[in-house]
Amino acid sequence: MAAEEIEGQLAALRPSLLAIARLQLRNETWAEDAVSETLIAALEGAPRFTAQSQLKTWVVGILKHKIIDHFRRARREVSMDAETEAAEVETFDELFARDGHRTATPLEWGDPERSLERTQFFDVLQACLDHLPASLARIFMMREWLEYETSEICKELGITPTNCFVMLYRARMRLRECLETNWFATRGAA
Amino acid sequence: MTIPLKITCQEAHHLLSDQMDRPLGRGERWRLWLHLRFCDMCSRVESQMDFLRSAMRRLGE
Repeated sequence: MAAEEIEGQLAALRPSLLAIARLQLRNETWAEDAVSETLIAALEGAPRFTAQSQLKTWVVGILKHKIIDHFRRARREVSMDAETEAAEVETFDELFARDGHRTATPLEWGDPERSLERTQFFDVLQACLDHLPASLARIFMMREWLEYETSEICKELGITPTNCFVMLYRARMRLRECLETNWFATRGAA
Repeated sequence: MTIPLKITCQEAHHLLSDQMDRPLGRGERWRLWLHLRFCDMCSRVESQMDFLRSAMRRLGE
């Protein structure tokens, strides 16, 4: 792949990288910085990939490292303020009646693995992540996208393990509902 | 003190999420296992949680 070609492909990746960085960092300047640093590093080190998909996987890997670096540098800035945290961890659980029974039955998702082959699925997943409350999206992305251990998340964000588990639970359940409504109940089943 | 063996779907859902973040205790594991044997709905949610994890690993790629 020629240098100009790599440059063009990297530029094309910018919007989707920015969308993810925003979700994780919840700050426009930090997200812009992380993506710019990622693209510069990618330009300098881009090996000769044959397929664009490989290039993208590699660039996303760099972005993850840049974001983790950011968390390390700015531990105090990213820690959660107590107020937001408390708001996320009220005991109300919208999925269940007071006796612990589910108010709606989850649908059968068929063969969900097939959805992973479709780019539209990831657009829906991204939109669902965008709709999560900011603090839930950030903690969930740390756990499932950056693959932090739960103990590391507690330390980084300065929250108790119990709150951490509850917030991850809420994020998972909301995403489950969102994917079901916007993908599996409609397009994903097709 | 006796620990109730049966758990509600709500408790099961919490354990399904927790087991992705921490090792469950022996009692929790046993109660969840027992619940899942008889509850199709929670079993369904369990596999959906696994799917969500594999989808997140591929986000952006």
